[in-house]
Amino acid sequence: MSVDLVVSATPEQELLVETSARFIASTLPLSQVRALAEAGRAPDAGYYETAASLGWFGMLADERHGGGSASGNGVLDAAAVAAERGAGLQPGPFVGTNVAVAALAGAQPRHAELVGRLVRGQARATWVAGAVAGLTPDTGRVVASADGDGYVLRGSVRHVADADECDHLLVTADGVDGPVQLVVDANAPGVGRRRLEGMDITRRGFAVSFDDVRVGADALVGEPGAGAREAVERELAIAAVLTVAESVGAMHHDFTTAVEHARTRIAFGRPIGSFQAVKHLLADTSLSLEMAKGLVVAAAEALGEGAANAIELAHAAKSFVAERGIELTHACFQVLGGIGYTWEHDHHLFMRRLGADAVAFGSAQWHRARLGEGIGVG
Amino acid sequence: MRDVTQDPARDEGQDGRTQPPPLAEYRARARAWIAENLERASGSRVEYRVGEPADLAAERRLQRRLYAAGYAGISWPREYGGQGLPAEYERAFRLEARGYRLPDFGVVGGTTYGVCALTMLAHASPEFRRRHIPRILAGDELWVEFFSEPAAGSDLAGVRTTATRDPSGTWILNGSKIWSSGAYYADWGMCLARTNWDVPKHRGLTWFAVPATAPGVTIRRIRQITGDAEFCEEFFDNVELSDDDVIGEVDNGWTVTQTMLLFERGGGAAHDSSRRVAPRGIAPDLVELARSVGRLNDPLARDLIVRAHVDDLARRALLARLGQRMTRDPGTAASLASYGKLSSGVYDPIRARLAMEIGGPDAVAWERDDADPAATAQAKAAEAFLGSRFMSIAGGTNEMQRNTIGERVLGLPREPSFDRDKPFREVLQDARAWTGRGGSSR
Repeated sequence: MSVDLVVSATPEQELLVETSARFIASTLPLSQVRALAEAGRAPDAGYYETAASLGWFGMLADERHGGGSASGNGVLDAAAVAAERGAGLQPGPFVGTNVAVAALAGAQPRHAELVGRLVRGQARATWVAGAVAGLTPDTGRVVASADGDGYVLRGSVRHVADADECDHLLVTADGVDGPVQLVVDANAPGVGRRRLEGMDITRRGFAVSFDDVRVGADALVGEPGAGAREAVERELAIAAVLTVAESVGAMHHDFTTAVEHARTRIAFGRPIGSFQAVKHLLADTSLSLEMAKGLVVAAAEALGEGAANAIELAHAAKSFVAERGIELTHACFQVLGGIGYTWEHDHHLFMRRLGADAVAFGSAQWHRARLGEGIGVG
Repeated sequence: MRDVTQDPARDEGQDGRTQPPPLAEYRARARAWIAENLERASGSRVEYRVGEPADLAAERRLQRRLYAAGYAGISWPREYGGQGLPAEYERAFRLEARGYRLPDFGVVGGTTYGVCALTMLAHASPEFRRRHIPRILAGDELWVEFFSEPAAGSDLAGVRTTATRDPSGTWILNGSKIWSSGAYYADWGMCLARTNWDVPKHRGLTWFAVPATAPGVTIRRIRQITGDAEFCEEFFDNVELSDDDVIGEVDNGWTVTQTMLLFERGGGAAHDSSRRVAPRGIAPDLVELARSVGRLNDPLARDLIVRAHVDDLARRALLARLGQRMTRDPGTAASLASYGKLSSGVYDPIRARLAMEIGGPDAVAWERDDADPAATAQAKAAEAFLGSRFMSIAGGTNEMQRNTIGERVLGLPREPSFDRDKPFREVLQDARAWTGRGGSSR
């Protein structure tokens, strides 16, 4: 069942959403997600190749790179897919690969070959952002020093999703003249990927270290300094919007489960959803969910169109969904009662996901602080 | 009544039936008439302290001028004084009239033209409509709703104001109403009364037209929490009405009510599915407030401002989403409207509290100087705080919206009820005797 994120979807978008939802249900339904999570494993390569054939990794690249959007707004398309992924708690570097594709496709032509492989699902990437721009402070940073006409990378960053599944890392490092972005072979000598234990067992987090990793000048993505700063802002907005799109999908599923429970669970001689105490909690939660979906769509539309308020809406969406997502999963938990406290019921998987999503790519407070910088300016 | 065949806006077709003129031609004529007959609007919209126009007679004269020229009720039926033109003619006139001063009857303008007249067109007898609709279009009759009662708010079908038919056929109205906006300057009220106490509550109700000046009608303004006095209460003491004053059918008033509520909640209006979240400044009122108390650079105050701003954006995004959902499935519009109403009822108070936290003690007491922008910003925050629960109560409480969302959107079952399928007379008796202990403890 679709999350119905984009109400005014084009027929092409509807087809994309429908085929994506069907692919998820038949290839990696919740029972399989749970099995992978409990075994600590990632999906196999076939999953990514099929997903790529549906267009999952090409929406932020143009036709030249083998990509293309369904509706003309690639970010909105990607958000619609992300919502279906979130409803099914799909693992893997969907956000990371799309951020890398967007960054590389807009950079030097020499990256076209890699973009093509990412779009086709033959390679995967994730973003090693760390504490860049103040995002998630104290997660570590990477320093890029000049080395001949290339760079040498040192440092380590925690909370990088899906690193061991990825062939390539988009590294945002501190350079001599401000930030510098480099694409690094994940298997290069000196690159370490240490698995972290995590609350969200459907995602796999890593600490990635760079121990004198040498890269050539051809690893450079865009221009260092001001150019990179601008690129990072856009990458962050894409990462934030796709993450909250996955979040609202997860919220949708958790909420639907709670409503169904309220309709069928009998207590005191009637379905518990008939009691206003339960009904009103669900109505308020439903309002939050509708607002969250609306804001995610507004942000995705604006970002895809390059609208003037795109970055503002991305910050707003991330901060709103982070808080409402956690409230929602708590409300659903309350409606489910004791069953929600069990490992057997799927609710905890959604609670884990929404708790983790809330702080991925910047917490609610961090995004509000970025918005606050605009007060009294202009 | 004026002769509608002299109507400048219409042509007679060859077969004697009227044909609308081509839209472009109509629009050009309207433009010329507007330029000739209307005044340019002053820069800022008039802001009423309460819902009353400064010069009611002038607004009525302006309305009469529009009516006489055929520009009132452009899409309303011709037999009732309208022009019977398609809705796009009405829109065309509105577009041409932008920037000009149109009649503004304050809060009563909305109830007259947006709720009462539309309900009459849907339910009143042809004789009733012929008597009242042309006068409404001419600005001679302003209408309000005599609807809620001191003992019936959310439970609207539980009204107790009673109309009894005496042997001569005269209806005698007794009871009281409350929360009628602007009734003190209205000419008529649409009044919901109980005409049969021996049937379940939804089935014994009837709508009446009550002149505001009829003997036995007392209208009093209510001083509100903000100090304003826009709302009124009415007392009916043996007010005599006739069968001609009945709107819809006797005892079938609930059908009329449902139409009326739909108009009141904007459910009858076209949905704007193209609405987008366009750029707009960060909560300008709160930024002004923070500046007035010297906290513009305080990170704590800035976080509060941004919280409000993010909620503002989410509320606008919600309305855009709802508009799209209503367009996709118009049958759900009435239920989905509850989300918009609930978002105001929930987020208005939150926003007002954020403002009070930003303003601190200066939003509680300020300099006595109307010319001082700081004092104005602070006074506004205090007034917003006092008024912030308006949308959580008026026109259907948050709880009613939550019931609608829970039952009609989410499909949750209703609460068991005490008043269905039981004569209303017994409902009240049983409720008074109810102790909550056991099944039937009388």
